[in-house]
Amino acid sequence: MISAQNLTKAFGSRVAVDNLSFTVDKGDVVGFLGPNGAGKTTTIRMLTGYIPPTRGSATIAGYDIVKESKKARQQIGYMPESVPLYEDMRVSEFLKFRGKIKGLSGSHLKDRLGDVMEQCGLREVKRRLIKTLSKGFRQRVGLADALIHEPELLILDEPTNGLDPIQIRSIRSLIKDLAQERTVMVSTHILSEVELIANKVVIIDRGQIKAADKPANLVNNLRTAGSVLLETKGKIDTAPELLKALDHVKKVKDFGLKEGWNTYEVVVDAGTDARERIASLCLQENWQFRSLHRQGASLEDVFVELTRQD
Amino acid sequence: MKTLLPLIQKEFRSFWSSPLGWVLFAYTILMEGVCLSTAMKGLADTAIAENLVFVTFHSPNFWFFFLFLFPLITMRSFAEEEKSGTLECLLTTQIETWHLVFSKFIARILFYALLWTPGVFVFLSFGNITELPIPFIKEVLFTTHLYLFTLGAFFIALGCFASSLTSNQIIAGIVTIGLLILQYFLGFVTVIWGDQFAASDIFKLFSAQQHLTNACRGILDYAPLLLFSLLTLFTLLLTNHTVNYRRWKR
Ligand SMILES: Nc1ncnc2c1ncn2[C@@H]1O[C@H](COP(=O)(O)OP(=O)(O)OP(=O)(O)O)[C@@H](O)[C@H]1O
Ligand SMILES: [Mg+2]
Repeated sequence: MISAQNLTKAFGSRVAVDNLSFTVDKGDVVGFLGPNGAGKTTTIRMLTGYIPPTRGSATIAGYDIVKESKKARQQIGYMPESVPLYEDMRVSEFLKFRGKIKGLSGSHLKDRLGDVMEQCGLREVKRRLIKTLSKGFRQRVGLADALIHEPELLILDEPTNGLDPIQIRSIRSLIKDLAQERTVMVSTHILSEVELIANKVVIIDRGQIKAADKPANLVNNLRTAGSVLLETKGKIDTAPELLKALDHVKKVKDFGLKEGWNTYEVVVDAGTDARERIASLCLQENWQFRSLHRQGASLEDVFVELTRQD
Repeated sequence: MKTLLPLIQKEFRSFWSSPLGWVLFAYTILMEGVCLSTAMKGLADTAIAENLVFVTFHSPNFWFFFLFLFPLITMRSFAEEEKSGTLECLLTTQIETWHLVFSKFIARILFYALLWTPGVFVFLSFGNITELPIPFIKEVLFTTHLYLFTLGAFFIALGCFASSLTSNQIIAGIVTIGLLILQYFLGFVTVIWGDQFAASDIFKLFSAQQHLTNACRGILDYAPLLLFSLLTLFTLLLTNHTVNYRRWKR
């Protein structure tokens, strides 16, 4: 659906996007991650035809973004980062206008208006002036606009930016619904969001791709290790040493006593699970324990690891 | 074509959904009325060998309010779209930059034409209301408004161009009025220095107020109409390039 080859954008001498190459298949839900200023918005603007690449090329559904820009743009439903809307228009009027300039008309336009307002939960505000809407509703109007011409590809730049947790959930579930029949590319900072909705992650930093893979693969390949938390009754002086002696255990941290229970963090090699061995050690040594919990690496760890400045 | 119409509609409606359109409408009626009544008083007090339309439009009063219309009509056109980010929304759909330039221009021309219609009715009903002999012929009314329209088209294009240069509508307005005042004074060069120097014909050709003066006497000259139409077209092309350039260079 999207295929980018060596996409580069320089603003004067500053390179915002540097030789980006990636592909997105039809039906994928892609999380586009990167710290502030990584070049996400710039990449998205190139893909949507708003600014031309300095070098390199990309195709949307087979159409070149520069040579067949109009065809390429028609395939995309795009919601920009700040969700710009016409403040003085009413919601239904705005969506109607957007539908018309995207080439819809007559009864088809009317049907689509009804559909997107239903889908995005805009029924009750359709007569309201856009400037009177809350941020959550503005975001929904932006989504409805992106959807109105039934695009094959949705590109959303930080769709949950600045929303409260309830709104974030409902927008997220909306995106999840939308993703069932389309290709979606979402840029975001919220990593848990990506873990929930995306089946592919592209991480960029300072304009360069750091990783592009399934979230699970990224987590598994992470160089940083996972760890196991063990809570034992009372402090056991020999525990750190004995735990350390087990296979694949790299380090043992003692978090100290709390209400009679002592917590140890056992750092293990990536991709290994020491819980069974720790449990048998506890039984063998006759330690009383109440929890043995594995903390897997999360996408957040991957993100931090890949975009660390040092 | 299918996308031009909604764009024009949206631009045209934006005048009426904010106070600006109504204020401009009232302002034009009021100021044209002031010019007309001053002209009527002038004609009543002293014998002037000119027609009423001429005396109405051939005055500094008129040019003062006339030139101020254009920054107000055009300053928001591109500056506001750029500032609010809606330009990005527009240009990432199937519409092209020239659609946008063209529709913004057409909507403003329509609005501008509408501003003059009450005045035309006032002139036309002069005889019925005052029961005096009508102090102008109908052709004069026609040529005057034809020139007002053509000059206005160029000034609107100029305003749109200024608006495409910046994302600040106040600056756009100031640049527009600056350009218009400059061209107004350039139009007076031959009046002040006489027409004995080599370039005087060029100054005459570009002098909007001299063309309007001729039109108010009922002279229909096609050369300036053509010239100003070409200038309009050229300015619109320039606007189109500016919009693209500003988004592409960044
Ligand atoms: N129009 C512009 N002119 C000059 N530099 C720009 C322009 N737009 C972006 N940049 C620079 O390009 C880099 C990438 O910016 P971009 O907006 O793409 O980042 P981002 O990943 O979207 O960040 P954020 O998470 O903050 O939205 C930044 O260093 C930014 O300062
Ligand atoms: Mg961004």
